[in-house]
Amino acid sequence: MLAGTSDSIIETAGLTKRYGRQIALESLDLAVPHGAVGLLGANGAGKTTLLRLLLGLSRPDAGTATVLGHDTRRDAIKVRERVGFMPESDCLPRDTTAADFVGHMAEMSGLPARMARQRAADVLYHVGLDEERYRLIKGFSTGMKQRVKLAQALVHGPGVVFLDEPTNGLDPRGRDEMLDLIDRIHRGLGIAILISSHILDDIERVCSFVVILDHGRLMLAQPLGNSNDDTGEILVRISSDAALLAARLEQAGLDVRLLDGNDVDGEIAVRPESDLAYDLIRDMVAELDLGLRSLRPRSSSLEELYIAHVGSDRERGSGDGRHAS
Amino acid sequence: MRVDTVSEVSAHDHAAPPTSERYGEVFDRGYEQYEGMRLGRRHAVWALTRYSMKRAMGIKKGWTSKIVPFLIYAAAALTALIPVGIESFVGEEIIQYNEFFSTLYLLEGIFVATIAPELLCGDRRENVLSLYFSRAITRLDYLIAKIGAVALLTLTISFVPAFVLWLGRQLLAAAPLASMWDNLPDLGRLLLSGTLIAIYLGTGGLMISSFTGRKSIAVAIIIFGFFTLESLVGLLQFALPEGNVARYVSLLSPTTVIGGLVIGLFQPAEPWLDVPWWICALAMATVIAFACAIMYRRYVPSN
Repeated sequence: MLAGTSDSIIETAGLTKRYGRQIALESLDLAVPHGAVGLLGANGAGKTTLLRLLLGLSRPDAGTATVLGHDTRRDAIKVRERVGFMPESDCLPRDTTAADFVGHMAEMSGLPARMARQRAADVLYHVGLDEERYRLIKGFSTGMKQRVKLAQALVHGPGVVFLDEPTNGLDPRGRDEMLDLIDRIHRGLGIAILISSHILDDIERVCSFVVILDHGRLMLAQPLGNSNDDTGEILVRISSDAALLAARLEQAGLDVRLLDGNDVDGEIAVRPESDLAYDLIRDMVAELDLGLRSLRPRSSSLEELYIAHVGSDRERGSGDGRHAS
Repeated sequence: MRVDTVSEVSAHDHAAPPTSERYGEVFDRGYEQYEGMRLGRRHAVWALTRYSMKRAMGIKKGWTSKIVPFLIYAAAALTALIPVGIESFVGEEIIQYNEFFSTLYLLEGIFVATIAPELLCGDRRENVLSLYFSRAITRLDYLIAKIGAVALLTLTISFVPAFVLWLGRQLLAAAPLASMWDNLPDLGRLLLSGTLIAIYLGTGGLMISSFTGRKSIAVAIIIFGFFTLESLVGLLQFALPEGNVARYVSLLSPTTVIGGLVIGLFQPAEPWLDVPWWICALAMATVIAFACAIMYRRYVPSN
């Protein structure tokens, strides 16, 4: 069981939910810190059930949950006043403008009418819909609708925002923009976020803490990049193709693996035989006149963590990101 | 992953709107966490009531959404103004209040068939309910707001034209203020009738609309249901021998109940079908309670 701390925005103790004989959540003990938190699990793992319980929309069969210090069963209204929720499904009225609807949602959270209109304009600007805010929603693309959903979740100044599959239905560019926006909302505006997703890449890119559920049970809840997940390898990230460096390090007798890296940087993993390996890598990079971006112990990737705690047979690749399925 | 710090974000040009190339960037336009007043559930329910009324009337929607409600308003206005105009010439009342309600009844029915589906079906079909129920209201609050919206809107058809007729008559009197005072009981009866009719027809329309997400189907069921019910009650009355059973079966018919209420209120000496007005009011209250109970079951799950 994870001990709750004063920094926790969400705490659950023995939280259990059943639908008939089906156990949706089983005795969940959880403490979620302020930050960007990923809620990861395959379809049916219990993510949406947990969100519904945290919003006070569903009663637990056993256990308790608090969000921002409010009991979700006794103070559900107070919880929902301070929480923003972006559902997975399409949920916007088609024949109203974005400004009108987001302003209405602010009023529904208790904001006075004038303040609601003002904040709706501000938050739509923040999500990149300044020019389009007076257009009817039915003319919006999927990406723009996702932004409106995000705006209505932010408009009342929530302490934490629950995002249920925020990249669902987006093309790769739209997905990239949405993740960028979520990251900026967390880092730039300081709003805690809980992202429910089954896409490993989304969680890994945005979140600093991960909660993994499987069949209603808590499999893992810990910071990403935890020192406990040290693989015993050194991660080397350079600002160019890493193949040349990998070849030279292999010639020097080191055990080297090329990693995927990203569009800009090259990455390799080196299994060192001694601490001198750091010096050797640094010297080799300098000798080849490469830009060294990072040289540090390599932690397990989220994919590796997921496989370790849920099982490799539950992993399969996907065109737009790795899925927990 | 590129990470901008808060200071970088703040350094963006304040005036420049985001272009398509810079979609998703956060600009410092003074966004702050809201720490001001939160007015609670009552405010949220009233906000939902107002918003629902506006949407049902087609306000801030395309012009096609406004046609039917405003045509009905125009017809209701004429129904009230024409008798006032004629009475100003002939110098006597040409229509009783109970007869006036009978002429309005058809308009009220069409109005409810138009607005009730607008109030509920869209939220269900477009899945907006998931957003409403994640705000600071309960499911019961949602229903209260919708019932309030349908009742207030229907009241504008069931009471306002009658009030215009009453006011016109008092203004035509030799001593308008004294006439208003003398006829205040009539105004009370108009308000009672109008309110009961509004809630009765409104909740009935909402109950039917709560079963479907399609507005057109809800409209069709309301109209078809009305004619079916009226025909069925007519048939039963024809088949049953005269007496208490036939009399009380007629209370299933909206036309009879509304007629019985207004005739009983304005001509208590000659109640329709020998049924006192308060029995008609009780029948209406029963239908209202039944409709609310059905909607409660539809919208408020046991867990």
